[in-house]
Amino acid sequence: MKISRSFLLLLLMLTFGHQAMAQIKIVTSLPDLESIAEYVGGDKVDAFSIAKGYQNPHFVDPKPSYIIKLTRADMFITVGLDLELGWSPQLLQSSRNSKIQKGNPGYVDASENIPLLQVPTSTSREEGDIHIYGNPHYWLDPGRGKIIAQTIYDHLVAISPKDEAYFTKNLQAFNDKMDAKMMEWKKEMAAYKGTDIIAYHNEWVYFETAFGLHVVDFLEPKPGIPPTPSQLVKIIKEVKSQDIKVIINSPYFSNSSPEVVARNTNAEIVQLSTMTGGYKPIRDYFDLFDFNISQMTKALAN
Amino acid sequence: MKKIFYLLFTIIINVIYAGIFSPQVHAQQDSSAVADSLLLLEIQQQMQESEASQSSSQTTKSKPQMSSVRATSANTNPKISVIGDFRSMYTSEGDRNFDAFVHGVEINLSSFIDPYARADFIPVFEGEHGELKAEIEEAYLTTLSLPYSLQLKVGKFRQTFGKINRVHQHALPVINAPIAFQNFMGEALNDQGFSLSWLIPNPHFYQELVVELTRGPEEHPVFTTSTRNIPLKLTHLKNFWDLTDNATLEFGMSAAFGANQFGHTSKLGGLNLTYKWKPIRYNRYKSFEIQSELFVSDQDLGAGTDDIRSWGMYTWLQYQLGQRWFLAGVYSYSELPTDNTFTEESLSATVGWYATEFQKIEFGPQILSDNGLFNAPVFSGFLRWIFVIGSHGAHQY
Repeated sequence: MKISRSFLLLLLMLTFGHQAMAQIKIVTSLPDLESIAEYVGGDKVDAFSIAKGYQNPHFVDPKPSYIIKLTRADMFITVGLDLELGWSPQLLQSSRNSKIQKGNPGYVDASENIPLLQVPTSTSREEGDIHIYGNPHYWLDPGRGKIIAQTIYDHLVAISPKDEAYFTKNLQAFNDKMDAKMMEWKKEMAAYKGTDIIAYHNEWVYFETAFGLHVVDFLEPKPGIPPTPSQLVKIIKEVKSQDIKVIINSPYFSNSSPEVVARNTNAEIVQLSTMTGGYKPIRDYFDLFDFNISQMTKALAN
Repeated sequence: MKKIFYLLFTIIINVIYAGIFSPQVHAQQDSSAVADSLLLLEIQQQMQESEASQSSSQTTKSKPQMSSVRATSANTNPKISVIGDFRSMYTSEGDRNFDAFVHGVEINLSSFIDPYARADFIPVFEGEHGELKAEIEEAYLTTLSLPYSLQLKVGKFRQTFGKINRVHQHALPVINAPIAFQNFMGEALNDQGFSLSWLIPNPHFYQELVVELTRGPEEHPVFTTSTRNIPLKLTHLKNFWDLTDNATLEFGMSAAFGANQFGHTSKLGGLNLTYKWKPIRYNRYKSFEIQSELFVSDQDLGAGTDDIRSWGMYTWLQYQLGQRWFLAGVYSYSELPTDNTFTEESLSATVGWYATEFQKIEFGPQILSDNGLFNAPVFSGFLRWIFVIGSHGAHQY
């Protein structure tokens, strides 16, 4: 009889054991989503980002080791808008985890409710590697970061309703901190409103809109097409004629083309990060803007 | 004993049910038929969770909503892509030394069927020397929500044997598949049936076990479709390690058993090893890969005749010179699975220029020699131009 009871208990544990979750396991496509999820979820979540902060988010290899993480996840957060088209659908399909498939509370498209910029009216690859739903680099606007936090909050509450009060408190703290930091960042950037800059890839539209910068042109002649000599000549002429001071580059693009422009003009190359973890001091989502604003203001002050 | 049997039965039903149906479907079932069972317990638990979730979402300030932009994309059309493979070649053997032709056109259609499965259809037009023949290369369903990390595939599919059998030709870093692969696998081991994959819960590294049961391929150097009940049985164990953030290692073992063209059975074994180095910061600019596969076959010719035991192997190296330039070299040695006295060796090099991820041009020489058919080595030069339109996702890592 004792054996039967133990056997019954073991079977019950095996059957329902998976429902006793200590922490909500979150896998995110990008580290900024990981950071925001950690702010909102606090110690109730265990988050992991597939892409590193210094990695080009368009081109992540779908390694099988990521499948293991996804297999055990309660939530998957994606930037969406086809940014991760080349890698996340295959990983999700291979995960065999129904909780994180589209349509379930565990699948979070962080672009839900985001007002998008650069939504094309017509799409053709003739225009380069364009995103048909709009520019997907929206997390580079702190204001939109608050919308992401709200979306993650909604899904966390759906997964773990008992922790709603805890998540609400964290969301409020995140928003309060963001409001305070936003005032600080805008104040620092106020003197440079309307400044013309050059960028490597079209990934700064939300950042430039948030902080009043103006990206005049890109080193890539079209999105995803490597810089060509004729494009660099065009950029050099633009930099000289418009007296542009700054060329911004991201951690995962080669510096060789920006250096060609810098050598032939007075412009300075400024290394910004598009993601949390892009450089050592950027440990979370707030650090990302602290770092970028600091880099920009230093370069523009010169 | 009866109770334990009943308990086991309900647990099995419960597990299958939980894997296949959603909580909403659970709630619609007639619970009285399974009263006092573990299934009922789970239904109640899930309903409680569902109610709690509903009540909490009413108090949530903002509800997730699709923006108007995303609403326009919410359609049920499958993702479609078309891949063109144009080739030109020169060879030192034969009367017609030069040719230019469309080697293949591949159409990819994929979509979710419902929340539980997705489907992939890959019709192709394949040909040599100007003539294209239409066939369905793959057409299969893949489940998304089986329990215990299982995934089932049914239909016609490239089988999980070795490393490159599942890779479509246009995605190979070399123009022609290595001669050992061609001799042991033909164009590919591609058959109709079932494939069950299990992610082994290994806490240390990735392990996947695949078991396949198919009817037996119609055109294959080792196997054939049997007129009797001899299906093709295949198993593959994939082991994968992240050595560092930038380097990975994969080791696989494969075995297949099925009917052969001599009216008996054949065995085919394989080992594959791949090392990849790709710095994640500059993964668009640099990479290196070395890969080897070994094939071993044993063909039973019946009583009184010795089995034919053959082997073959290849090793390739691929090095990325820059964002757009790739270099690859392959050495391959092979006996024929139907005649182990005949051997072939090939050495080839490929230079690849990738305009974007949707277009690449590759060219390079190949030397093929053997110990019988041709007295002198055959020199060939190839050009391949691959172009893709539409939405084409990632290939297997």
